[in-house]
Amino acid sequence: MNQAVKTDSPGAFLEEMEKTRGTLPKRIVANPQNVEKGLAKLVLTLIELIRKLMEKQAMRRIENGSLTEAEIERVGETLMKLENKMRELKQIFGLEDEELNLNLGPLGNLL
Amino acid sequence: MAIYIYGVIDSNGRPDDPMIGLEGALVCNLPYRDLGVVTSDLDARIPHITKEHVLGHERVVERLMVNFTVLPFRFPTIFDKKEDVLAMMNDHYDDFRDNLGRLRGKAEFGIKVIWPGDKIRTRMAPGENSAPMPAPASPARSFLKKKFEEHQIEKKIEDEADKHIALVDGFFNKFAAEKKLEKLKTENLLLNALYLVEKEKQGDFRQAFEQLRSSPGELKYLFSGPWPPYNFIKMIRP
Repeated sequence: MNQAVKTDSPGAFLEEMEKTRGTLPKRIVANPQNVEKGLAKLVLTLIELIRKLMEKQAMRRIENGSLTEAEIERVGETLMKLENKMRELKQIFGLEDEELNLNLGPLGNLL
Repeated sequence: MAIYIYGVIDSNGRPDDPMIGLEGALVCNLPYRDLGVVTSDLDARIPHITKEHVLGHERVVERLMVNFTVLPFRFPTIFDKKEDVLAMMNDHYDDFRDNLGRLRGKAEFGIKVIWPGDKIRTRMAPGENSAPMPAPASPARSFLKKKFEEHQIEKKIEDEADKHIALVDGFFNKFAAEKKLEKLKTENLLLNALYLVEKEKQGDFRQAFEQLRSSPGELKYLFSGPWPPYNFIKMIRP
């Protein structure tokens, strides 16, 4: 077999491949020191997934023009509060945005 | 005692050349009906996995590829006893046969493409007043308007990415039996593509890459292969 890897930019590809590594551990590291943070990371990742889906749905409805004035106000307020609350929780548990990633298989990464 | 598995091949005979596998153990072909499961007997499960173990697995699979069709197993697959290996073969025999038939004479190739996604994002004008959003009159509206503008930019980037991917895929698609395309795995990794290519078309496939590589533009390319078809095995039966 004549295996080959050909590229003019090995450094750039290495850098990108590093970024594609999932951040969620295969197992939850549950010890008395970090059990809280480990679980928070898992739960906040799932909330982030739901928040993103809600946001996408809202954008689609704005595009279609299917939101009334009152609904625009309500959806905007809900999404804004949700984003603020997430920021607060991430701060409490010392988590960065990149840490709340999820590999969705063929759909790619959540973030 | 542990049995390490490299893969399943379309032969129940003994490999022609003796091969040394993981932990210096001999590589054997354990026959099951008309197929074989390629193994090494280890003293115990591998306690500390090293890069050398991973490369050792890959080396064996690649050598098998020269003479056989191989269904490579994920590293590290280890069974406790021979009876368990044979039971696994019995459970998945039909799937293994189907895959071996489909993958015969084919190998996997990878094409990765980087584009300046970060620069493209900054070039995109936000909104261009196409947003059906009234002027913000409250913090909630202002928030939603900003989100909508970001959403519009994302859509433009996706459209741009689709155009580039179609162009790149156009070089390889005609030589591929099957393909898997993954778009924008990171902001700059425009395409992570896997192609399954028949032996007779592998020369053309390589040439297509050279053609693509020499075309002008701001994209960066990476070619790799031929590899065992890790990403094209389809196990249907539970």
